[in-house]
Amino acid sequence: MMAQEDEDRRAWFRREILPLEPDLLAYARRFCRDGQTDPEDLVHEAFARAIACRTWREVGNPGAFATRILRNCALDALRRRKVLTITAVADFDRIEPLDEAPSAQAVIESREELRLLAEAIAELPTQCRRVFTLRKVYSLSPDEIAVRLGLSVSTVEKHLVKGLRYCSDKLGRRIGRKSKVDEGRSWSARRDHDAKR
Amino acid sequence: MERETGSRREAVRQAAALWVVRLDDAACSAADRAAFEAWRDESHEHEAAFEREAVAWARLARLRAMRPSAEPLDRDLLAPERRPVLSRLGQSTWARGMAAAAVLALSVAGVTTFGGGTAYATAIGERRVVVLSDNSRIELNTDSKVVVRYRRGVREVRLVRGEAVFEAASDARPFVVRANDAVMQADGVSELAVRLGSDGAAVTVKRGVVALDPEPTEPKDELRLKAGVAAVYNATGSRARTISDGEIDRVLAWRQGAIALNGQSLDQAVAEFNRYNRQQVRIVDPAIAGLRLAGYFQTTEPRSFVDAVTSAFPVKASEDADGDIRLSRKG
Repeated sequence: MMAQEDEDRRAWFRREILPLEPDLLAYARRFCRDGQTDPEDLVHEAFARAIACRTWREVGNPGAFATRILRNCALDALRRRKVLTITAVADFDRIEPLDEAPSAQAVIESREELRLLAEAIAELPTQCRRVFTLRKVYSLSPDEIAVRLGLSVSTVEKHLVKGLRYCSDKLGRRIGRKSKVDEGRSWSARRDHDAKR
Repeated sequence: MERETGSRREAVRQAAALWVVRLDDAACSAADRAAFEAWRDESHEHEAAFEREAVAWARLARLRAMRPSAEPLDRDLLAPERRPVLSRLGQSTWARGMAAAAVLALSVAGVTTFGGGTAYATAIGERRVVVLSDNSRIELNTDSKVVVRYRRGVREVRLVRGEAVFEAASDARPFVVRANDAVMQADGVSELAVRLGSDGAAVTVKRGVVALDPEPTEPKDELRLKAGVAAVYNATGSRARTISDGEIDRVLAWRQGAIALNGQSLDQAVAEFNRYNRQQVRIVDPAIAGLRLAGYFQTTEPRSFVDAVTSAFPVKASEDADGDIRLSRKG
């Protein structure tokens, strides 16, 4: 039964690969120091390749599997460029492939996660936050929310999409985790990195 | 090109998020579901993006736990607390990075005084900051020399060799930089970088306004260069263009002890490294001179630059008898 097989494959992706996002993002940043590629693009592409894996049952170490894919994405991105960034090529020799699984804290503590989500919603623009609160806290349907706030259903949808996009990115970056990754591209960080081989 | 992929990623994630929102609505029709299946079957990119948004949506269901029991509906339940969040702003890595910029010791070696002027010079691989009596600053790059003459009516600095950044402090007297015959006059507080060429110079204005007169002997128009403008002049004339902040940072990367390449050819890059090091790099194969490259390197580490080049291109490196590095084509 094909549909069941697809569903199993997606379930595997949800369970084993998606929770690695913050770690993969941190790993991807090391390939993007020259600013020619967006690390989020690399992770996005790596997810697409990972979910396509038909032989997922044979993947013994999802972390190593995902980082290997990410590395290939980075290499392909490098090959696609018009101007070859030799710093990035040098990085390939320098950045060790990860053989062990990244330290995915697959389950953040539930109270911690609740706090993170509430914080994310609080950061949304007023109307978007109200729509989102009515949908996710009070479980009102989009139609009911539209009536209550005097909006069209499509506007309600737009606000929900906006709120969801904000939260999924926030969960993917998992700000406030212990592993401190250099978020910006500060000169000093790049200097330290380039300074010694 | 890269920016397009970013917006493509966002477009796919938006579409995925909209499907998540629609499918979770009881009003979702069979036709909608079929349309979703068709969209998801288009690519694994769609499939993976949908899973990502769907998982986040499911996790957001936990917010129901925040619902106060037996309370009327409060749509502003999750409004932000009224608390300043300014403390977060001071923590940007940028700010930290800038704060960590190299602090150079003021040195008195290499200073000679003659004929009413004071000369400051640097050796190959050396950088130096000079603070003048009016608090103007000069930062000298490798193998460079300036002669400073402050007189009653004018502050004059001549760039004799190499490259320097001049930060003119405000003063009643005009601040004038001379380089290969040309005269540049800074208006008030300004910052300009000047690099000598064989018969002219390149000028980059980072702050303030600078009036450039390439040939003071000729009654010709002078150029007024605003911040963010770079000008080049030589025997054939002068031209100015606006450049981005990123490009200004690359031009001035040497102040951080770095060379920032952005599409320059291999021979240009090699010439740049050779300014900073006694160990010279030579291209013995004209065929490889035109390779274009980008990257960020330490000025004093030609070896790591060479390693990067040889691992990125079909180029091999060898050391010759006098310790210089020769680059030639591989195979």
